[in-house]
Amino acid sequence: MRTYVEFAIKKFQNKMAYRLEFFMGIVNTIITIVVYLCIYKALYEGKAEVDGISYAMTATSFVISLGLSNAFHFNEMFIQDKIHDGSITNEFLKPVNFVFRLLWENIGEGLFRVVFNFLPAVVFACFYTKLCAPYSMGNFIIMLISVALGYLVLWLLSLIIQVLSFWLFSVWGIMTIKNVIVNILSGVFLPLWFMPDIIKKIIVFTPFESIYFTPIRIYLGEVTGMEMLSKLSLQLMWIGILGGMAGVLWSKGVKKLVVQGG
Amino acid sequence: MENIIEVKNIKRYYKIAKEEKGFWASLKSLVNKKYEIKKAVDDISFEIKKGEITGFIGKNGAGKSTTIKMLSGILYPDSGTVKIDGYIPYKQRKQYVKNIGVVFGQKSQLHWDLPLIESFELMKYIYKIPKKVYEENLKKFVELLDMEDFINQPVRQLSLGQRMRGDIVAALLHSPKLVFLDEPTIGLDVVAKEKIREFIKYMNKNEQTTIIFTTHDMQDIEKVCERLIIIDQGKKVYDGTIAEIKNKYSNIKNIEVMYEDGSKEMKTFDINKIPMNQVMEKLFTEESIKDISICEPEIDGIIRDIYEGKIELNADTKGE
Ligand SMILES: Nc1ncnc2c1ncn2[C@@H]1O[C@H](COP(=O)(O)OP(=O)(O)OP(=O)(O)O)[C@@H](O)[C@H]1O
Ligand SMILES: [Mg+2]
Repeated sequence: MRTYVEFAIKKFQNKMAYRLEFFMGIVNTIITIVVYLCIYKALYEGKAEVDGISYAMTATSFVISLGLSNAFHFNEMFIQDKIHDGSITNEFLKPVNFVFRLLWENIGEGLFRVVFNFLPAVVFACFYTKLCAPYSMGNFIIMLISVALGYLVLWLLSLIIQVLSFWLFSVWGIMTIKNVIVNILSGVFLPLWFMPDIIKKIIVFTPFESIYFTPIRIYLGEVTGMEMLSKLSLQLMWIGILGGMAGVLWSKGVKKLVVQGG
Repeated sequence: MENIIEVKNIKRYYKIAKEEKGFWASLKSLVNKKYEIKKAVDDISFEIKKGEITGFIGKNGAGKSTTIKMLSGILYPDSGTVKIDGYIPYKQRKQYVKNIGVVFGQKSQLHWDLPLIESFELMKYIYKIPKKVYEENLKKFVELLDMEDFINQPVRQLSLGQRMRGDIVAALLHSPKLVFLDEPTIGLDVVAKEKIREFIKYMNKNEQTTIIFTTHDMQDIEKVCERLIIIDQGKKVYDGTIAEIKNKYSNIKNIEVMYEDGSKEMKTFDINKIPMNQVMEKLFTEESIKDISICEPEIDGIIRDIYEGKIELNADTKGE
């Protein structure tokens, strides 16, 4: 475990080397927040609620999901690049699990973005517009757990596609499609409350709701008490399913590499 | 001394998809792909004793890296067996790799954005190296390889020679018993090469590390190795000491001929086939020759002759 935490720390430090990228990231996030909040404001046209959802809830939901989607950002072409330049085999020379290593490195990068990108943007957004406070302390803590689980769901989706590069020359196209689908169906830009009913019904059977929307609803108190636990177990179920798929694909891919020689 | 490595009849063939030229041909190949079989390693066997230092040479594409990959557990042989220090590398990879150090000179394993020292620190956690051992090794290696000046620089800013030294240190910090170095001197200047040779020798002598390394530089071999394995087109063509190979090919004479117009030419003769007196006779009948000098075969020349097929190798020249 210590070894893997160390990977996260190193990646965090690694990111510190790129200070310009960090400043640009903040500027970018702030601009995005301003633009979208203007759009939402226009959509509300001064009304207190739309579909029973207040403007403050929408704004909060947007800021949190944008922040999380920034934090959940990592190099999704990593495995493909490693396979292309042949350095993937080097990874097997180390007595560490490559997949866990990758996870922890990505977590390190994510934490960097939370601290240096998300938090400054939240502070800015608080001054800029009125946001909702967490529903309760309990909800806030459960939400943090839910964020971690949501991260794993998203990370595993990405891993599954990354691992396909053992068979496909380029996974860039599939990855792009996945990202578009995730951005729409997980409610980053348009919170899922406002989706048409049919889509809402479909989304229930997909992992997308588990990524950002579950933590947000817990934060806002739309989900409370025992219902929170059932939402967390739904997230866990998706982690199980996606983790299983990724695991099978990964070991098949490694086998292809070491048995067939790439 | 007991064997640390036992390699028996390993083979590794690659299936290479044939690229068809032209639109229809490439469309057809989607359905009916043609493959070419490349025999990268074709029935190689050898044994290596604990504490030995062995040079692995051969032309480009001879199968050196493929062999090293199989020995380090990241590639399955198609057939044959590898047994190293009680492990079957490709089957017990996770356990096995704790005991070895590997450097692929053409591919760095260091963290591009981090200062060198941070990559070393990471090794401490990856291999769970005790603090004391880590600090001792680091101090010693940094001194031996003269790395104080650039150890705090990010790897992306290092020169090739500096980076290579970094890679070697990173692979040895956990004091592995067995080390594979695939072209550790590639692209380095004479001074850097010398440093690395000294270091390899030091590790072998003082830490009893068993070392296998590949190179295209015969100086590396002459200065560092006791033993030499030559492979060609996936087959082992020589396995023995350097002294033996020089001895074995003492029948091969290189004669430098200087012509009257001042031009020089190197001629190779096998005195087992043509005795020296006949060689001389032949040369003296050529009128335009001004001078000749007979050179003892240098290891460089012998190896070149082997690569170029000027020296025929048969079963009894395999050094076994
Ligand atoms: N992954 C691969 N797929 C297909 N063919 C391969 C692969 N790796 C190596 N080969 C082929 O196998 C042969 C041996 O390659 P190898 O890399 O072992 O040579 P080498 O002796 O290390 O050469 P060099 O001195 O140039 O490094 C070459 O003909 C090469 O083209
Ligand atoms: Mg090679």
